[in-house]
Amino acid sequence: MKNSPAVDLALVAVFAALLAVFAVVPGIPMPGSTVPITLQTLGVLLAGLVLGPWRGFLAVVLYLIVGFAGVPVFASGTGGLAVFTSMSIGYLVAFPVAALVAGWLAAFFVRRGFKGRYVWLTVAAAVGSFLIIDPAGIAGMMFVGQTDFLTAFAWNLPFVLGDAVKCFAAAAIAVAVNKAFPVLLAARRAAAI
Amino acid sequence: MRGVFSLYVPGDSVFHRLGSGWKYLIMFGATFTGLFAQNVWVSAGLLAAMLVLLACCRVSLGYAWHLPWGVWLTAALLVGYQILMGKPLTGVIIASNLVMAIYAARLLTMTTPGPALIDALTAALGWTRLIGLNPQRIGLAIALMVRSLPALLDSYGQVRDAARARGRERNYFAAVTPVVVRAVGYAQATGQALAARGLGEDRVEG
Repeated sequence: MKNSPAVDLALVAVFAALLAVFAVVPGIPMPGSTVPITLQTLGVLLAGLVLGPWRGFLAVVLYLIVGFAGVPVFASGTGGLAVFTSMSIGYLVAFPVAALVAGWLAAFFVRRGFKGRYVWLTVAAAVGSFLIIDPAGIAGMMFVGQTDFLTAFAWNLPFVLGDAVKCFAAAAIAVAVNKAFPVLLAARRAAAI
Repeated sequence: MRGVFSLYVPGDSVFHRLGSGWKYLIMFGATFTGLFAQNVWVSAGLLAAMLVLLACCRVSLGYAWHLPWGVWLTAALLVGYQILMGKPLTGVIIASNLVMAIYAARLLTMTTPGPALIDALTAALGWTRLIGLNPQRIGLAIALMVRSLPALLDSYGQVRDAARARGRERNYFAAVTPVVVRAVGYAQATGQALAARGLGEDRVEG
């Protein structure tokens, strides 16, 4: 099935809504850690791995715009610009880039027909999570919390284990969804909103 | 009174009647002034102002001033950390900015119904035409997103219930897969329905 612009638009919109749902449903308790992991970063990585880079990017941007405008779609049921003074702002602004990069890598691996799709999708998710989201999150905490790099780095550490789990989960879920909807990720055309 | 994706409380106070553009202006102005001034008097003054403005909304103060415990915890940790660093004033600035920005956002979301927020947002995105985007398509995407929220929440609840019924509620990520598959299917059906009605098919003109 060829994706029409209307289907592209609907995919972007519905995935933005899915991000909102993942942000507000209760987090998953992690054994051996006091920090529960939210489904939010999982949703961001999935946006890239399932929809491909551009639709994934736009879905996350749409989610952020609606959240900044005041609809309470961010974690802990907040909305509006309050997130700019909270510690999570760095993570939030990195989300669209992470979806873009993870989606681009995933589409590249899939189009080239790399063997072991699960492994490669995990790699794509890990790049988005650890090379895009975490550094930006640390920078955000340095800015908002007025602290140095090492302290912010330490504040980020409790989340690393959960993030690693999420990368594997995102890849597994994306493999299943790509099987159900094979054209989505590999489609070349970008959604133009 | 309060839904998952809505903080609106009906009323007839001056802020309920004020245009949402003004309330957006207050939110933007207060948040970024506090963030970039980095001055304890500015932050404390803005926080006091927000407390007063919220009190003018004729909503019970227990609701209007309520802060989730996570905010208290974050604020306490930030102040504690900066005291340890020997910069208690910085801690006060950060914590009051955090609370002030939450209140500034609440002044908007508590007194403006969700559809009015979305309308204001869509209207405010008209300038995107200048950079080659289509504001109508963005508006359609926003409307579609907001409309999908209840269906997706419901879908998530159903899948979690089904997993619990099979005694597999601890396998969290397995429960997410059907939610995503359903969401993609829902999006494709919605997109095809839009296309059949000639909506959202055009990339350039609305």
